[in-house]
Amino acid sequence: MKNKSVIEEAEDIQRAAEMVRLGARMQMLEAETKLSRERLLKIYKEVRGVSPPKGMLPFSTDWFITWQPNVHSSLFMGFFEFFRSSAGLKGLDAILKAYHLYLDQIEAEAMEPVLSLTRAWTLVRFFDADLLQLAPCKSCGGHFVAHAYDPTHDFVCGLCNMPSRAGKTRRATKAALADAG
Amino acid sequence: MQRQDFQSEIQELNLAYLMLAQQMLRNDRETAMFRLGIGNDIADLIIGLSSAKLVKMASSQVLLPRFRFDDVLLTGLLAGKGRDATSSSLHAAILATGKPVQELDR
Repeated sequence: MKNKSVIEEAEDIQRAAEMVRLGARMQMLEAETKLSRERLLKIYKEVRGVSPPKGMLPFSTDWFITWQPNVHSSLFMGFFEFFRSSAGLKGLDAILKAYHLYLDQIEAEAMEPVLSLTRAWTLVRFFDADLLQLAPCKSCGGHFVAHAYDPTHDFVCGLCNMPSRAGKTRRATKAALADAG
Repeated sequence: MQRQDFQSEIQELNLAYLMLAQQMLRNDRETAMFRLGIGNDIADLIIGLSSAKLVKMASSQVLLPRFRFDDVLLTGLLAGKGRDATSSSLHAAILATGKPVQELDR
């Protein structure tokens, strides 16, 4: 689709540049702006200095259910739901603001972000397509990402009922050893 | 012993809070609403305060910002109870996103 208004186009360019800065892939840029592919490629190269990665986006909902990604996606969806319901923001604006808050939180804990912007965007699309839902944990009351149509009446989240190996990555062990030594 | 009323400290804190809130709301309204834990009507009220009104509002006996989380689990997690520090702070953050924001009674 071609842009009719110059002002709208300028806004789209701003948005596209922000998305690229946050790590968006081409598919997201193409879906969320009305700019041509050539324009988007130029923006991408200008911001990142390299060509965008090729290939398809991950399309499975299972990634969001595994332990660590689930914690991070649930946090993002919490922010996103606030912006959509209490603040009345729509679509991309809510995604970008929620993602900024997510990054702030991760930075405050000195962690690595697990959820990329494109993943977060895919997550919201999965919710819109009714492939995923938010399930209330019966132990802590928090809302967590779960497969749609899974029974949720006695759902317990991965943080109340932590798997024994959860979070014990090689890097975490190394960091703990470094702290102790 | 002399009775301390903390009057000037409270007013100072109120003033700092209101000024920060106003600045945050003008910069990015929705994010500020989340961080401050306030709804649309309070956001409008704070944004609309003139400097004179802001000072007037700050010179109250009571603290204007109030303790936000009335949840035993959440406050415990925020204070670092749990298996490890990072997962309990993430857990707290997830619970906090689901808490309702403060609205004005009509």
